[in-house]
Amino acid sequence: MSAVTQPLEARRSVSQTVGNFLRDNPIYVAIVGLVVVTSIVEPKFLTYSNFDNIIRSAGTLIFAALGMTFVIMAGFLDLSIGGIISLVAVVTVTLIDRVGQGPAILIGLTVGIVCGLINSGLILSSGALTQAESLFITFGMSLVYGAVALMYVQGVTQFLTYSESDISIFNAINSGTIGFLSVFTAMAVIAFVILFIIERRTYMGRAVVLTGGNKIAARLAGVPISKSIVMIYAISGLLSAIGAVVLVSRVTLADPTMGTPYMTQAILAVVVGGTALAGGRGSVLWTVVGTFLLVLLNNCLNLLGVSSYVQFMIWGIILITVIWLDTVKQARVRG
Amino acid sequence: MSANTVTANTRIVGAAKSGLAFQKAFLAIILVVLVMAVSQLFPATRNNFFTEANFINVLKSASIFIILAMGETIVLIGGGVDLSIGGMMAFSGVVVILLMNAGVPIPVAIALALLVGLGVGAINALISVYQRAEPFIITLGMGIVLTGAGQQLTNARPVSSKVPAFADIANFKILGPIPLLVVVMIAVVAVTYWVLRNTSFGRNVYAIGGDAEVAKYSGINVRRTKATTYLICGLLAALGGVMLASQLNSASSIAGDSTALYVVCAVVVGGTSVAGGLGGAIKSLIGLLLLGLLTNAFNMLQVDSYVAYLPTALLGVIIVSILWLDSFTRKRRREAV
Repeated sequence: MSAVTQPLEARRSVSQTVGNFLRDNPIYVAIVGLVVVTSIVEPKFLTYSNFDNIIRSAGTLIFAALGMTFVIMAGFLDLSIGGIISLVAVVTVTLIDRVGQGPAILIGLTVGIVCGLINSGLILSSGALTQAESLFITFGMSLVYGAVALMYVQGVTQFLTYSESDISIFNAINSGTIGFLSVFTAMAVIAFVILFIIERRTYMGRAVVLTGGNKIAARLAGVPISKSIVMIYAISGLLSAIGAVVLVSRVTLADPTMGTPYMTQAILAVVVGGTALAGGRGSVLWTVVGTFLLVLLNNCLNLLGVSSYVQFMIWGIILITVIWLDTVKQARVRG
Repeated sequence: MSANTVTANTRIVGAAKSGLAFQKAFLAIILVVLVMAVSQLFPATRNNFFTEANFINVLKSASIFIILAMGETIVLIGGGVDLSIGGMMAFSGVVVILLMNAGVPIPVAIALALLVGLGVGAINALISVYQRAEPFIITLGMGIVLTGAGQQLTNARPVSSKVPAFADIANFKILGPIPLLVVVMIAVVAVTYWVLRNTSFGRNVYAIGGDAEVAKYSGINVRRTKATTYLICGLLAALGGVMLASQLNSASSIAGDSTALYVVCAVVVGGTSVAGGLGGAIKSLIGLLLLGLLTNAFNMLQVDSYVAYLPTALLGVIIVSILWLDSFTRKRRREAV
């Protein structure tokens, strides 16, 4: 008797689990469905060169989104990454012939961290606790960083026109390989592993999540909110700067406005992955999934011949749907 | 005893509020003095800045933003935010021009564009008020959708109107050099001022922005009031788009790219708080005119390419310092109460 019912129950619970997953993550399902349709309609989708293309087009976005994850988990937002990417890109490229490529990249990364520290300094000193306040302050800083980038190169696009040996690091990032992994993939994996360890295994990682859960309660419980705010913005600045270096390597130029699109894309990648916009719940692992879902979506729509304007609309619709569904889910969890 | 406590609290809040107003006014005066001083320093601007033509120019270019800002002010006071106004403005301009070029009479085309604005406001309200989703991201996404839709309709190229009469709506001069657009703007400001000051809807908006829970227990229909603020905002953004299209007699799907954040920042510069419950139509008018004057003064200083991007940087610095002050004052008030 019990031998008959047990498998039935097990089967039901599996189907329930699958059902719950489908209900909670319709975006995952929709995009996987799109991938299946694309691979049937367009055989080019399943080729190695397309796969390579997908990995590469995650380029800057994956770094920017990884950095943004901690900021959103702590219940804040960082709209300044567009400005930071532009600024770091032009600073790095113009410094190559003055100080050499290695120092130029290091200075670029330092600029990114400094921008992040400025953001956190402004937010801390003003006592901003809400997402809205951080959103507007970092938006204003984005204008400042973008304008500084424009002033620095006087609005002129800078090209990577140096001899091969002077830009070997950039070439390596763009097309080099370590064993079977491309250098870019290795960089992304290292960044992800470090952030994942910080998130899961360190006190500061837990402090970030607790800050996002409830700032007042976290402060009363002795969580170092100020430290986590400084850390999340510094990390966001640093990773945007790494993203800028990757972007420069790929397109071999630095334009003082090139970072602008990454602001909304990074937020989109984070929330599509499943990190709660309200803070307190999320993971860099989910962000990696979210980024690849977006890149896959883009690739599929390109192969299916959907116009880039409609793709733009689809991104907006996905952003709205994800946040909406997340809100509905949270309301259900709370009862 | 309890009466004393209430008075004390009111006094502290009152002091903090007047402190906020004082700091804002102080900052505004510094800005204006700065603009005047800077504009007198250079021969290129010394003669042009303080002229009637220039002030009308500033007024004209700020008018569209002011129309948008009135809707945004109402939403912000009610404790929400609408970042879709830039996309809405561009999209309604595209809609009105395309409809007229297709032979639809001007009033019908305008009415349809305004209806689109109401519809988008209704979707924003449905998702962010009735479903309680985060309005920043919902309206940001809506802005992206509208920009994409406009680009698809126009192939991302500017479209010009084939109906010359349409241009008269914004550009017709009624009082000497003042065009009709400015009169429309003043009318919108006046109506917004009246609605916020003298109607029960206006008082309810302040109440729900101040504390939605308290407002609910006082018998205010919080959801309906808040939804109405988004409808008004969508309608006014569409009106702004129609006026912009009429002013230029053409429309571009990417006209509103940075409009929303600029308008929100200008509204906050004027003294409306992003946290809700504080603000007003006249404050927003002042904020928009101040930023308009500043931009105008800086644009006059474009003597070489190095300085050309300085206005944006300074605008960013000014926006950040005012937002910083806004948060800081609120922090002090929290600590005081």
